Amino acid sequence: MKMIFTIIFRLTVSCLIAGTIMGMTFIVTNKAKKANEFAREEKVVYALLGYSKDRPIPESMGMHEVFRYLVLEGESQSIGYLVPTGGHGEEGGFGFIRISLDGTFIDQTDIVLSEDKVREQGERDLAIQTALGPARQVRFVDQTIVVTDHGSRTAYLLHGKFPGFKTNIGIMLALDPGYSIIGLEVMEHEEDPGLGAEIEQDYFKNQFKLKDFDTIKAIEVIKKPLPDEYFEALEGRIDEAAALDIMEQYKDQDIYALTGATISSDAVSSGVKGMTKKFAYRLDILDKVLEEQQIAVPF
Amino acid sequence: MATDKSNFQLVTNGILQENPIFKLALSMCPAVGISTTVMNGLMLGTAVLFVQVFSSVTISLLKNFIHPRIRIPTYTLTIATWVTVIDLSLAAYFPAAYAQMGIFVKIIVAFAIITMRLEMFACKEPVSSSFWDGLGMGLGFMVGMVVIGLVRELLGSGAILGHDVLGFKPLLFFILPSAGFFVVGLMMGFFNWIEKYYAARKRGNR
Repeated sequence: MKMIFTIIFRLTVSCLIAGTIMGMTFIVTNKAKKANEFAREEKVVYALLGYSKDRPIPESMGMHEVFRYLVLEGESQSIGYLVPTGGHGEEGGFGFIRISLDGTFIDQTDIVLSEDKVREQGERDLAIQTALGPARQVRFVDQTIVVTDHGSRTAYLLHGKFPGFKTNIGIMLALDPGYSIIGLEVMEHEEDPGLGAEIEQDYFKNQFKLKDFDTIKAIEVIKKPLPDEYFEALEGRIDEAAALDIMEQYKDQDIYALTGATISSDAVSSGVKGMTKKFAYRLDILDKVLEEQQIAVPF
Repeated sequence: MATDKSNFQLVTNGILQENPIFKLALSMCPAVGISTTVMNGLMLGTAVLFVQVFSSVTISLLKNFIHPRIRIPTYTLTIATWVTVIDLSLAAYFPAAYAQMGIFVKIIVAFAIITMRLEMFACKEPVSSSFWDGLGMGLGFMVGMVVIGLVRELLGSGAILGHDVLGFKPLLFFILPSAGFFVVGLMMGFFNWIEKYYAARKRGNR
């Protein structure tokens, strides 16, 4: 009997010490880790929008994040959008706009949050939950960044996740205001090296570039060899103007599947198709509501 | 119960006589899985080196406190703690390296070599010997990983440390996981052959 207590005591002490060490490391490193993730995402965003060292970001550009939530109130559900309501560059508050599932406006709640805190999911959820009261439950769905230049929209950036061949594939998609694709970047995946992992190669992901909304709505994957000139253009091995010219020619083409990775190719193209279609539908509804209710947003 | 080996002998023992990969044939899963390039091998090797040294020292410090019946959970807990610390620090301060080998760092928790060294050595020996033994084992693992990585990177992608040296790719096969077994097997044979050769020469001299 005494031995049981000794064992329990010693194991508990070990666990407490281990927990303290791990917790302390977490606290020390968490800030740097968050900053890294944010920096990486920022880099991808600028690369997608075509900004680099040679083409710096104009001062007039603004980025506005829109968070989509699912609101549960007893049996009924509605969609909530957290949108910034201040002007460009101002430290404004946020508005939580609820829209019913058939697209009609329900109500708007003002939410006070700082720019930094709105990016922290925990802080954001808590702020919305407190503002809405305990009768409603909110669940975060996804977020979109609306990019503006001089107050007019230039691009949308969407985060997306869909099942690939092995695990979920996470991508970031850049669309222009007409929902044509500016570019896409694979953020995370665990596809097979040499096969499905090729989705992150330029010659695959750049195939989506320049495709317009009508093409995307019906996009399929074809199992044909990728033409050589198109490959060179996608990989950026020829000069920019010529590459653009070739890509323009293949603009209405379906996506050429990767050899030996049809499922991964299919997953990405149908994922992009679904994301674009759904986003266009949702944004139309949100825009209509914003216009009808005369809600001032900076985008 | 202190070991009769000097600190230097403890370190070389881990690198040569009891090399974790080529001699003890432990932790083969990462040796095969991640050693596709020199850089990968070096990074995972460094992570293992830290975990091994920290865990050996911790267990050696706590050896009188650990109840002999529950030493395995305590070892696992110790290793898991240090792996978490290394994992979090890598993610925070070396994001580029971490992006490449993130999941493999977490797998270090289950590396046989670390538990084996704690059980065989650190739980009986004084702190300083455990430190040197851990260092030797960690270095041995790192050397093994780098050597395998060198062969695979050179033959698979014709490069060393990412720099193209051959100008062509001799055998793409060496990048794939199955080639890891071939390389490890051949290296193991090579190591044993050298050892036999020297042992024979020693006998001849006498």
